[in-house]
Amino acid sequence: MNSITSQSVPHKAPAKKGNFWLRKGNKIAPYFFISPFFIIFGVFGLFPLLFSLYLSFHYWEPAAGLAAMEWVGLENYIFAFQDDWFQKSIYNTGVIALKSGIPQHALAIPLAFFIHTSFTRWRNTVIGVYFIPYITSTVAISLVFTTLFSRDFGMVNQVLTSLGNFTIADMKVLSWIFPVENIDWTRPEYTKDMISFVVFWRYVGWNTVLYLSALQTIPRDLYEAAIIDGANRYQQFRYVTLPMLKPMAFFAVTLTIIGNLQLFEEPFIITGGTGGIDQAGKTAAMHMYITAFVESDFGTASAISWILFMIIAGLTWLNHKVLGGSNH
Amino acid sequence: MASVQFSNLAKSYGDTPIVKEINLDIDHGEFIVLLGPSGCGKSTTLRMLAGLESISGGDIYIGEELVNDLHPIERNIAMVFQSYALYPHMTVEQNIGFSLENLKVEKAERIKLVTNVAEMLELTPLLDRKPKDLSGGQRQRVAMGRAMVRSPEVFLFDEPLSNLDAKLRGQMRKEIKAMHKKVQTTVIYVTHDQVEAMTLADRIVILNEGKIEQIGTPKQIFDQPKNTFVAKFIGAPAMNIFNLSNPKIQHDFGVSMGEHNPVLLGIRPQYLYLNENEVKGVEKAAFVDVEVISSELLGASRHIKCKYQDQTLVVETASHDATVKGIVRLYFNNTQIHLFDENNNTITH
Repeated sequence: MNSITSQSVPHKAPAKKGNFWLRKGNKIAPYFFISPFFIIFGVFGLFPLLFSLYLSFHYWEPAAGLAAMEWVGLENYIFAFQDDWFQKSIYNTGVIALKSGIPQHALAIPLAFFIHTSFTRWRNTVIGVYFIPYITSTVAISLVFTTLFSRDFGMVNQVLTSLGNFTIADMKVLSWIFPVENIDWTRPEYTKDMISFVVFWRYVGWNTVLYLSALQTIPRDLYEAAIIDGANRYQQFRYVTLPMLKPMAFFAVTLTIIGNLQLFEEPFIITGGTGGIDQAGKTAAMHMYITAFVESDFGTASAISWILFMIIAGLTWLNHKVLGGSNH
Repeated sequence: MASVQFSNLAKSYGDTPIVKEINLDIDHGEFIVLLGPSGCGKSTTLRMLAGLESISGGDIYIGEELVNDLHPIERNIAMVFQSYALYPHMTVEQNIGFSLENLKVEKAERIKLVTNVAEMLELTPLLDRKPKDLSGGQRQRVAMGRAMVRSPEVFLFDEPLSNLDAKLRGQMRKEIKAMHKKVQTTVIYVTHDQVEAMTLADRIVILNEGKIEQIGTPKQIFDQPKNTFVAKFIGAPAMNIFNLSNPKIQHDFGVSMGEHNPVLLGIRPQYLYLNENEVKGVEKAAFVDVEVISSELLGASRHIKCKYQDQTLVVETASHDATVKGIVRLYFNNTQIHLFDENNNTITH
């Protein structure tokens, strides 16, 4: 019966011969062609992810080999939560995230609006200038800022003290607001501010570009309708621009939350990898790094990384509740 | 309610003139349609009146007041946009009431005005919805409501029905007309759709390349076009225009090359008939013999494309004339032809 069917159907695929890969009905070839992505993702993405989760429930001395892994349950998590330094690093991360994150967006939105409405010919150049910090090496930026904030010769202190010492009729009229002596920016009470400022400076251009791209998608008709409805410039910004920026704000704030909670390079270089005096500039990511690569406690470090992941996921969910949801 | 006057109104972008010295008087409560092809300056003219576009020359008066330098809100106009331009994050109620809020109208009064307008436009059940939850026609009505709530002196419509399907467009035309009847406000309406212009307008202003070609009632524009541009622009299919340099054409249409020296001749496709008895108003109909090239069915009517003296001619007939082919004779009333001089202007008989 089979032989009759195969002979009576003229469109039947010819008998299998020729190149294996080009043969019709070859079910392996498609998987072979898409396999590079899955292999790379599996080896460098999925495996480390699952391994770190597995590791977070173990005590492991890496030098002793895989066989030395010892199941400890939630002990690493409990230890991390009870660890004063971890708590402090989470606090530092939160403070730096807020002090650098809020000004980033508070400035980027009006700045983008200003560039959008005031520049036409030079717009791309202006955007480029604001974007430069984002593409510059973090090490270079951190070193430059370390020099700028240097106690004895830093430009920041020179400007501040010259304002503080500004004298009219033998009176230092600005001394109530500006310092008259050099400030030691490495002191714990200033460390977080200094790091926050560098992070803010670096990412404000990035956020401006994000908001600018969103502004360019707002239909001109809406502004014209608002003008005819009697809205002044502020009201146009408040009632047209801001609501229309909401979807982009959600995206940009999410990126800021993720970026700031993983903050590592800036505080690491500014504090010389130590976290600064009294660990005032040590972020959670730095703490995780030190736990793993200095103290060789990979189990606890993995637990910390998963705790950070939970915090980021939670904050992103919260952000979605506040800014998520589309108008359209 | 107010009159509107354009006096030598001009607009240019750099060296490119867009609107060239337009003069137009619009009466109180009149429904004026600015009609013309894309790029003729009709929307620019409307936007200059709205205050959304600066003017390069001339004056605009609303009522007795010169409004050249007034802010849009001070002109007391309202505008309906092609895209509706509804605020997507606001409810229907907030959309309609937004201008009142900006004008600092008290909340109780504001609610009353919004409710009245919503009732008039049958939007009451939709007041809590956002634009994304509305159909095209409902959005259009909200845009109209937003314009009406302020009781403006002049309504401006910028191609408001372009985004709707044909059926809804017909319905909205009726609603706009009904609204105009009810509120009796001056309306200036921009469109490139001649059906909208013919059905809505008290007077149509035909614009071309920034200039006014003709101002008149829809009937005047259709029956007495001032020049070949208007003749061809109004009416579908477009008027058949022939060059009179061919003596055969002169003879067929009975044109005498007298003192006016006509150069072009026009006849509408609707005024050419396949049967002599369809021709009204004359004892003996004139005729031309043409060769049928193709025929197009449009439901109730049929467009027959013919060859006549190496030129193309279109006839609109009843849809059942399906068997027409080969050489046919077309009858017409000689008084329904239009003659144009060398400047393309109509020669009045």
